[in-house]
Amino acid sequence: MSAHDYEALGLVAGLEIHQQLDTATKLFCGCPTEIRDPDDAARTFTRFLHPTKSELGELDDAALEESRVDREFEYLAYDTTCLVEEDDEPPHRLDREAREVVMQIASLLDMDAVDQAHVMRKLVIDGSNTSGFQRSSLVAQNGEIQTSDGPVGVEDLMLEEESAQRVEERDDGVLFSLDRLGIPLVEIGTRPDISSPEQAREAAETIGMLLRSTGKVKRGLGTIRQDVNVSIADGARVEIKGVQALDTIDDIVREEVGRQVELLAIRDELDDRGASVGETRDVTDVFEDTDSGVIGGALSSGGVVQAVPLFGFDGLVGREIQPDRRLGTEFSDHAKRHGAGGIFHTDELPAYGVTEEEVAALRDAVGAGEEDAVAIVATDPETAALAIDAVQARAETALSGVPEETRGANEDGTTRYLRPLPGAARMYPETDVPPVELDPSDVETPELLTEKVERYQSEFGLNAGLAEQVAYGRRMPLFERATDEGVDATFAAGLLESTLTELRRDDVAVGKLTEDHLLAVMHLVEDGELAKEGVNDVLTTISEDPSLSAEEAVEEAGLSGVSEEDVREAVVEVVERNAAQVEEQGMGAFSGLMGEAMGALRGKADGEVVSSVLREEIQKRA
Amino acid sequence: MNPGDRVRVERAGVTNEGVLMPSSTPEYLVVKLDGGYNVGIERDDADVDVLETDVYDVEEAQSESTTSEIAFDDDLPTVSLISTGGTIASTVDYRTGAVTAQFDAEDVLRAVPDLAGRANYRGRVVANILSENMTPDVWRDLADAIEAEIEAGTDGIVVMHGTDTMQFTAAAMSFVLDTPVPIVFTGSQRSADRPSSDNVMNAVCAVEAAKADCAEVLVCMHGSESDDVCALHRGTRVRKNHTSRRDAFQTVGAKPLGEVDYESEEIRFRRDYAARGETEFAVATDLNEDVDLLKFTPGMDLDAYAEFLRSRDLDGLVVEGTGLGHVHTDFIPVLEELVESGTVVTMTTQCLDGRVCDRVYDTGRDILDAGVVEAGNTLPGTAKVKLMWALANRDDAAESMTRDIAGELTQRSVPWE
Repeated sequence: MSAHDYEALGLVAGLEIHQQLDTATKLFCGCPTEIRDPDDAARTFTRFLHPTKSELGELDDAALEESRVDREFEYLAYDTTCLVEEDDEPPHRLDREAREVVMQIASLLDMDAVDQAHVMRKLVIDGSNTSGFQRSSLVAQNGEIQTSDGPVGVEDLMLEEESAQRVEERDDGVLFSLDRLGIPLVEIGTRPDISSPEQAREAAETIGMLLRSTGKVKRGLGTIRQDVNVSIADGARVEIKGVQALDTIDDIVREEVGRQVELLAIRDELDDRGASVGETRDVTDVFEDTDSGVIGGALSSGGVVQAVPLFGFDGLVGREIQPDRRLGTEFSDHAKRHGAGGIFHTDELPAYGVTEEEVAALRDAVGAGEEDAVAIVATDPETAALAIDAVQARAETALSGVPEETRGANEDGTTRYLRPLPGAARMYPETDVPPVELDPSDVETPELLTEKVERYQSEFGLNAGLAEQVAYGRRMPLFERATDEGVDATFAAGLLESTLTELRRDDVAVGKLTEDHLLAVMHLVEDGELAKEGVNDVLTTISEDPSLSAEEAVEEAGLSGVSEEDVREAVVEVVERNAAQVEEQGMGAFSGLMGEAMGALRGKADGEVVSSVLREEIQKRA
Repeated sequence: MNPGDRVRVERAGVTNEGVLMPSSTPEYLVVKLDGGYNVGIERDDADVDVLETDVYDVEEAQSESTTSEIAFDDDLPTVSLISTGGTIASTVDYRTGAVTAQFDAEDVLRAVPDLAGRANYRGRVVANILSENMTPDVWRDLADAIEAEIEAGTDGIVVMHGTDTMQFTAAAMSFVLDTPVPIVFTGSQRSADRPSSDNVMNAVCAVEAAKADCAEVLVCMHGSESDDVCALHRGTRVRKNHTSRRDAFQTVGAKPLGEVDYESEEIRFRRDYAARGETEFAVATDLNEDVDLLKFTPGMDLDAYAEFLRSRDLDGLVVEGTGLGHVHTDFIPVLEELVESGTVVTMTTQCLDGRVCDRVYDTGRDILDAGVVEAGNTLPGTAKVKLMWALANRDDAAESMTRDIAGELTQRSVPWE
């Protein structure tokens, strides 16, 4: 896609960033915020959801569209989930730790806390919340972050519950896992102050850095999600959901601008052609003897073919609007949303077993000429009717330009249609949770990661690279704890960043090492009870049996009980064995004997101790 | 400035625009922002501009009353929906923030569109109360309403009731009425204002049960945590055994009488029941309200209770004793005194499951000698309702407590059935 002049196009973008918090318990119950393997589920149950009206008596478009699909939801429950996640017990009060962390985040984003936070129910009836709504509360407003292209306003900060994890899509429903449901989640919405793809990425990176500065956010895939709102002057607001990787945000913005530009070009051309969308029609007869596998398959299981004539659309349905995505792909997304497998359209036919004669007959059947296009859906009668209506509606929108909608991010930077934009009506108060008075005054503003990088260099003498690696790394809180408790910073940084990486490369199950294990090992080294050279062995031993304490692991690894006398004894033995060499070379023999001495002690002893004893012993004889 | 007005509120440098909502505390203004969120803003130092009045009629929106026009279908049975209030027909009260009942039967049809096409409905509101506020007066009104519906030729009755005291009302109807049609109680444990509410499935299954052949007083509620099957419980043997779970209602001491499958609408019964039309309609609404239920617990101030009971001048007392049906030995003379003064005293057990048997231990034998009658395996709450009814309608109320009248007292203990 060619580079656009974003200013001329009137690009306006905003971010919505969702970040899971790493609190001890969930937002509305006492369950741990632990992700589980679906195979460990203790039990399952099934539910249906029914749309309800908001407090203002309105039904939400997005919710309604969702409810047209009658679906059964199955949920996996664990020994780490309770009745609250199952919507079989009222929520408990808003978690205190989450409240504290969110106030820290508010202060980092230079925001004003609201006087009284009200927990709302945000209607979500796709099954991802057992209740049929997501509990969410606006806790702060009016903030700002800086980017090299100027400040970006932060409109609001929400504290909400994470949804259940989708495990499996089924024909008639979805399987969800309850482990993730209820993990505290913050949602940060910026003002639409962003005017270039690069600025979008920088703003997202800055917010990510500020969030991680709290040391209380979850790390790893899926724990942070970015949504991007994009519009251009003549286009429409499009909300793009679920951008997983920070470094694709600029691509997403670029691609969406490109999409809107192309859709506007299509609109202009349709306008010139005086295009219009016709009535849908059943054209099953046309395909009675078809060789098309897809259509034939649908018909033989009682299906029908529905068609909609698109007058003046010829050639435009197949026009590319994003890499490998056409206007027809957009039609197809809408059809899929209603359960169809997709659509065919005349710009791509004859193909897929559909013959030229069939295409001609199809055009005849719906009164379409050469300048026109026809889109068809082949599936069971009910789905086909819904799907073709959806295609018809989307085609009509093409006449007026870019539809406002919610889209999902694809991995390649393109997007796909998800659902209409949700309206404000999807919120109503969560009456089971009383409003909370927020007190931002007793919150300490945490040190920023950028500040930590500086401090690690000036205070601990770490080099810039290692300082940044530690500060931005997921073990940063542990590093701080260790140095606070007197562990040497260089050693701690080396262990947490290099040693663990080495071990992981050697297939050691590093994930099984708890913070307490790592801290205890560091203390043993600090106290001289374990040689640095023995750290790898001890950590490996613990990873094989995480029930061991660090001390037990030292013993298990055979690294315990090396006193200075033991070292001297071993060194003396080495020196005596090589008496001739010592006499001949003096200190020149040091490095050769050092290796031998360390070997004799098999890593049980600290190299520095061994080296000073060896020096002494050589001097005695030289 | 009133709820429903569009306002701009400035406080401490922050400006918010939105619709003013009713507030539950005087210190805070509650504003619904355009994004849908409500925020509380301290009233002190807040500058409020009313931008537009009555943007929303908050009251109206909550109790919107479009008339449902449902055509009568001769091929469908008629089911009467009688509402007494409760979670199944409730919406949010924005003054207290709590969920209160404010729907009539018409609203239930609107709230539960899935009921459409299953029957012709007649709607009737007997009360609009939370079930903890239930009284014997309302029981009588309910019995009258059911009588009127049956006289009008209904094929079955669904009573929508709060879950807290549903078992008491169901027991009351079991004793008060002899019915030729099903009388099915239902409600919801999770409020109707949530998409996950159990109200839809419970109401649908209750209507199916009301169309079925079992002409008894039943409670129809979720049979498990899943939306798969509703259990049908006898009104005299059912108990709410959980505060919040969908499947809180259980038949004590046995499996439920039957089940309704939500998807297939199939109804299965496990045991014998009174079939539709088998029983002639009869109603006896007299209830003696001078009856109490007393739960005995260790450390109770026996003298204070003795004094209280003497002062009450009760016609009936149900004791919820320990184990097989015991109270502190020192309390037995008090019970004896009550019996001698003409109070019917009957023993039930706080074990809930199992049968009272006061012939096993000395304490029990002394209790029997004091003139207390054993209520068998009648549930304590059911026993209270039964005694109220028996004192008003039977010559020998004491003897009645030892015999089954409405399925409350089974002769055999077969919990596996």
